Amino acid sequence: MHIAPAVYKRIIAGKLYVDQHFQEPIDLGIISQKACISRFHFHRLFTRVYNKTPHQYLTGKRIAFARKLLEDGNLSISEICNSVGFESMGSFSMLFKKETGISPRAYRNNTLLKKELVKRSPYSFIPNCFINTCLASQ
Amino acid sequence: MITKLSHVTLFVTDQEKAHNFYVNTLGFKVHTDAVMEHGFRWLTVIPPEQPDLQITLLSPLTGFMYKDEEVRNAFRVLLEKGALGAGVLHTPDCKATYEELKAKGVHFNSGPKEQFYGIEAVITDGCGNWFSMTQPK
Repeated sequence: MHIAPAVYKRIIAGKLYVDQHFQEPIDLGIISQKACISRFHFHRLFTRVYNKTPHQYLTGKRIAFARKLLEDGNLSISEICNSVGFESMGSFSMLFKKETGISPRAYRNNTLLKKELVKRSPYSFIPNCFINTCLASQ
Repeated sequence: MITKLSHVTLFVTDQEKAHNFYVNTLGFKVHTDAVMEHGFRWLTVIPPEQPDLQITLLSPLTGFMYKDEEVRNAFRVLLEKGALGAGVLHTPDCKATYEELKAKGVHFNSGPKEQFYGIEAVITDGCGNWFSMTQPK
C-alpha cells in the first residue's frame, strides 16, 4: 500500500506525540487529532507503518518507561503506575506481566539483584575470552 | 551443534556516545553495564524485539582492550572513516523510520531506496559504523 510522504509525516507526528505524552491520559481520539487524520484512518495507517495498533504502541511505551523507573528504584510501584499513565494498579500489573512475564515487584527485585551482582562481581557477566584479552594486554 | 548467536561485538569510537545513540535514539535496551576495577567497561544492548542477542559496544581505542599501538591505529582509522559495515537492522517501515530518525538528527549515508529484497536506507551510528536499515519484502 502506497502512503504519500505528507501522510507519512502525519503518522510520524502522531507517533512522536505518543512518545512525548504517553504519561498523560491520551487516547486514539487525541492522537489522531494531533496527526490531523480521522481516527479510523490513523488507526489503519499507524498499524500498517508500525505493525502495532496505536493502543499497543502506547501501552508498550508506558511499560518500557515503567521498567526504567522500576530499575531506577526511586519510586514506589503505585507511584510508577500513576506516573506512566495507567489509571489502576490492576491494569498496570496485568499489562506489565503480559509484556514481561513477571509482576512489577518481581521485575524490580530481579533488577536490583542483578545490579548488585554486576557491581560486586562484574567478571561473572563478561565472557572469559574478553576478560583474558583485556588482562593479557595490561 | 551451534544453535544461535548470543553476543556480537560492535567496536565504537566512544562508548558513552554509542550508549546514547543505541539506547536513546534507536530505543535499544541496556542488558549489562559492568565496569571492572581498572576501567574496562562491558556494555551490551539488545534490540527492542530481540532480547536474546546482546550487542557488545566496545571501545578498542581506550582502556586495556588493545594495547598494541598498531592494532589501535588500525581500528582508529577504520572507525574514524566510518568504514565498518556492521550489519542489517530491520524496520517494519523504512520510510517512516528514516523520517523519524532524520528528525532526531541521525545521519544517513543514503535515503530509502527500493531494492529487490525490500526498501533500504543506510544509517550511521556516529561512532564509526554504518548499517543497512531494511524493510524486508
